[in-house]
Amino acid sequence: MAVFRLGQSWDPLRDLEREVDRLLQSVNLTFHGVRAGRKYPAVNLHESSDEYILTAELPATAPEDLELTLSNGLLTMSGQRRDEEEIPEERFRRQERPQGSWQRSLPIPERVQEEQLSADFHNGVLVIRLPKAPQEEPRQIPITSD
Amino acid sequence: MSTEQPDRSQHLVMAHQTDDSTSSSTERFVFTPPIDIFETAEGLMLRADLPGVSLDSLELQIQDNRLTLFGRVETVLPDDAAPLHREFEVGDFLRSFILSDEVDYERITARLSHGVLEVELPRAAQAEPRRIQVNAD
Repeated sequence: MAVFRLGQSWDPLRDLEREVDRLLQSVNLTFHGVRAGRKYPAVNLHESSDEYILTAELPATAPEDLELTLSNGLLTMSGQRRDEEEIPEERFRRQERPQGSWQRSLPIPERVQEEQLSADFHNGVLVIRLPKAPQEEPRQIPITSD
Repeated sequence: MSTEQPDRSQHLVMAHQTDDSTSSSTERFVFTPPIDIFETAEGLMLRADLPGVSLDSLELQIQDNRLTLFGRVETVLPDDAAPLHREFEVGDFLRSFILSDEVDYERITARLSHGVLEVELPRAAQAEPRRIQVNAD
């Protein structure tokens, strides 16, 4: 016989809440791992007082396979993710890591000293530093009148 | 991925999703890194993408039959950097695996290069067939 008990009537809700929390957490976890349908590589852009910093995660890309070009304010990154040897499909027991070549172009911020751009690639993380151009002094415009 | 041949090495390693994300007090993300597992002549090879993890910040541990990898990622940004555009979160990597007895635990080796961890899991040598002498009374 079902008996309504006030003290415990909210328990199912609490369980549900906990369950949803757990689900959301796992969504968050896989979001990072599987980049299906997203641009590769994902990039972050940060700004400090004197530079812009672009970061991208590029595991399994050898520095010699990475190419960076800059033209007309557009930074193009290209490269390939590859392992040293070809592994036949049938030998895989689990395959989650993406493979292949990729390319992505990004407009760089204005007021950047393009010739000062530097890139560092360590442990599969690319860090591109774009130093800001110095602020120009305000210039007085002479006004002439008759 | 073919699962046709009932090869015994198929169950040498069972990927195990870690369920316990660390406490939220430090507000760090913990991600499950993508992995590949494939057969080699000697056993199995495991590869995991761990961008931002250095040799010093990587922990690889075997306890009982569980292989756990934990990679801490240090930020590459200066303290005063403010985000303008964000497509990914930076966090640590954690994943563990259950190894079967057919892996020779003593000979497991690992290396880290270009943000990829490679763990070699050699197959244990087959036990020698042994003849059992049957004695009659």
